[in-house]
Amino acid sequence: MILQTIITGLSIGGIYALMAVGYSLVFSVLNFSNFAHGAVITLGAYVAWAVMTQFFQVPFFPALVISMLGAGIIAFLVERIAYSTLRHRRAPSLYLMISAMGVAIALQNVLYATIGANLYALPPVFTQDSIQLGSAVISRMDIFAFVFSIIAIALLTLVLNYTKVGTAIRAASHDSEMVSVLGVNLDVLVAVLFLLAGSLGGMAGVFMGVKYMVYPSMGWITNKAYIGAVIGGLGSLPGAIVGGILLGLLESIVSVTVIGNVHLSTYRDVFSFGILALLLIVRPTGLFGRYVEEKL
Amino acid sequence: MEYAQAIFTNSAIYIIATMGLAIFTGYTGLFSLGHAAFMAIGGYAAAILTYFLGWPLLPALLISVIAAVLVSILIGYPTLRVKLRSDYFAIATLGFGEAVKVLFENFSLTQGARGLPGIEKLAGPMNTALLMVLTIWLCRNFLRSNYGRKIIAIGQDPVAAEMIGIKLLPNQMLSLAISAGFAGLSGGLLAHYITFIQPAIFSMDLSSLITAGVVCGGMGSLTGPFVAVALFIVIPELFRGLALWRLVLYGVLLVVIINFRPKGLFGHEELNLDNLPKLFWIAGLTVGLTVAASFYNEYASFWGRLPAIAVAAALALATTFGVSLLGRGLNWVFRRTLPGVGSSFRRTYDTIYERFKPQLVPVKRQQQRMEMVSRRAAVTVHGQPVLNVKNLGKRFGGVVAVDGLDFCVYPGEIHGLIGPNGSGKTTVFNLISGVYPLSSGEIQFNGDLISGKPPTAIVLGGISRTFQNIRLFGNMTVLENVQTALHTTSDYSLTEAFVHWPWGVKPTEERLYREAFTLLEEVGLADLANRVANTLPYGLQRKLEIARALALNPGLLLLDEPAAGMNPKESQDLVDLIRKVHETRKLTIILIEHHMDVVMSICDRLTVLNFGSKIAEGTPDDIQNNPMVLEAYLGDKVDYAAAS
Repeated sequence: MILQTIITGLSIGGIYALMAVGYSLVFSVLNFSNFAHGAVITLGAYVAWAVMTQFFQVPFFPALVISMLGAGIIAFLVERIAYSTLRHRRAPSLYLMISAMGVAIALQNVLYATIGANLYALPPVFTQDSIQLGSAVISRMDIFAFVFSIIAIALLTLVLNYTKVGTAIRAASHDSEMVSVLGVNLDVLVAVLFLLAGSLGGMAGVFMGVKYMVYPSMGWITNKAYIGAVIGGLGSLPGAIVGGILLGLLESIVSVTVIGNVHLSTYRDVFSFGILALLLIVRPTGLFGRYVEEKL
Repeated sequence: MEYAQAIFTNSAIYIIATMGLAIFTGYTGLFSLGHAAFMAIGGYAAAILTYFLGWPLLPALLISVIAAVLVSILIGYPTLRVKLRSDYFAIATLGFGEAVKVLFENFSLTQGARGLPGIEKLAGPMNTALLMVLTIWLCRNFLRSNYGRKIIAIGQDPVAAEMIGIKLLPNQMLSLAISAGFAGLSGGLLAHYITFIQPAIFSMDLSSLITAGVVCGGMGSLTGPFVAVALFIVIPELFRGLALWRLVLYGVLLVVIINFRPKGLFGHEELNLDNLPKLFWIAGLTVGLTVAASFYNEYASFWGRLPAIAVAAALALATTFGVSLLGRGLNWVFRRTLPGVGSSFRRTYDTIYERFKPQLVPVKRQQQRMEMVSRRAAVTVHGQPVLNVKNLGKRFGGVVAVDGLDFCVYPGEIHGLIGPNGSGKTTVFNLISGVYPLSSGEIQFNGDLISGKPPTAIVLGGISRTFQNIRLFGNMTVLENVQTALHTTSDYSLTEAFVHWPWGVKPTEERLYREAFTLLEEVGLADLANRVANTLPYGLQRKLEIARALALNPGLLLLDEPAAGMNPKESQDLVDLIRKVHETRKLTIILIEHHMDVVMSICDRLTVLNFGSKIAEGTPDDIQNNPMVLEAYLGDKVDYAAAS
């Protein structure tokens, strides 16, 4: 039972981490919360659904790659259309958040208006999903999702640490103006940033789709990934990973807890946001966050 | 008719919530993703009271407002504490909305997710309209009061607001509480109008409707959001077949407006004679579309599609044209009659005001307040340094910006702080005014330790400043910029501000106006009092910043490169101004400046910084001949310079 809870927690935590990394990447350079990330993730899941069940019956792995690419490109386009003008104008972050909200509303409702509110299942990855481990029944998909999320994040870390673009992104997270003065094309850098964030989001979307279902409002779950990012410290990559996994674990523990005759699983989301409020009182910068002093 | 009434009532209900959000997002510059949650609180509170306890509508609505306000404080406090960021608040409202939904879905009294039908229909077009007018009136009064100016200042530049002593958290929470209160009122009315309540009503759709209203209508305006929300309710009714695309439209509108026309329909302006034709044009277009759509629906099946479309389009054009013509006509009429009506109204108002003035004006309260202000200005003790900086240090990570700096500033002197670029001058100002925490050392002001105090406390304690890169409240007028800085001398209560209680608000506002005007005269900006601040030329913006700093009646004024970017004529003007202010107010000033002619002509003493440490101190003459200083500025031609 405990093992099962932990595995479930890790798998959902891994997915949270994938999404939270996307939030943190964008936040660290552009200094705003990209609330359109959820819509990108949803579209990523729909891309996988389309190529796996509607058009070509593509097997899982190619479909995963296609949907990562698709989500990356969508995120890039969102940046071009909704943020780049504001970015160049140095608009306050309020404007960027409003723009992000607009994108989120528009994309989600385009799905409602065209494909509809139906729930679609993605074909299972494993024919025999559950494995018996002592008394615990563990889903192969959960383990697979967790391992894959970790691999993807590890690859991202390699990219950030050992490539030129990665170095530029890390530098830009300290001072994007300075980086552009040094001759880095900030537009290209931001494009790469959104491609990376989007494709990780697409992967998360596919895992979500396999684990649960594909539907227009599935992007809601990213709000909890965002909480994960805040717990770890918004703008910090290790923070996003630790925060996401921590939140996933806590949630799966809460889900199986029963106090009296109240099943806490009903109040799982209330619990997550409660953690957010508590954290902001105790430690507003999160676990790994740095306090940025406003320059006058 | 019933149909028109329904549209009207719906608009009025949503407008009430939008007015609140206009204050929170439009004026205070904070972001919320889920204001519908506050509507849910209000809706449920009112519905439970009338349905189960049989309360009448008005007290129930009052409770729903109170409930929403209390809840908003609960969420606002932890999330708005994080300075200058409303990201956390936005996500918290979203989560809070979800929490509310989950709680009410599992709340058996209100039948969970199925909802509570059969609430008595207590809200109709009449009382809703009345409450809407009341809401707008209250919001308008609030925004024109001292409390409103503080909130608007935060919206325009939170850092500058803090540097004139406006505390961010309490004012942001006030703004939140107001917006939540109106959202609660709106929710309560909604429940009693549609006679049914269910968690799903208060969804993301509702939040996006009112946010889209505020953004498209224009931030920094009440008129704009009013018009926009009315349009949002009316227009989708015309295109019922496209109901699914309505939300897509809101989303696209948000992106397009914020990117290409951030001021929306009426950004930073309210309804006045000049934009009346614009309003009528918009109204005409809407009415025209309504007429055309209903005509088309009626006659398309008889006449065939194409003729019906042609006639409908003609009708739409004619109506739009007619209504906008009406707007122009009204504008013409008002231009001739309104000044007369206005002045006779004002005369009546003044008569009533004067009649009850002796009984109602709280003279005593004002005298107390004025005494307090004058006492604050008179704390300077002669002989003792005004500012005493001891072993001041500041490091940013590995960079040492200020290192073991000691200096004193004596009463009545103009003290120059000079040094090459990057020598830490502005950092010293930021440390004195509390923007950065100190890494080491201490700062005393008039003998009191001020280091470690919050910036607002330091400012209100008597140290005000200007900024290297000008930070005015750009969309306010010149006069309002200074009036805002006089906020500490205002003495009417929040309730008085909301109802614009003449005998509380008027005397104070008149005094603030006079004081602000006097300050503008002092710096020579009185002629431009009603210009919008960011339309002023650069040199005058600097002077306005000085006037704003003086409005706080400081004991010590910090001027950060006031002559930067000025031509010789302008900087000479500035020198005269500083000298005048210094003499008439017996003011102690610290001046950072690169224009050496300015520095040498007005400073009594200079402190020279290099790499964060003091390398010299003395009178301008001493400094000009100091080899260390010459080396810092010019390189190592020390011998040559010293010899000459």
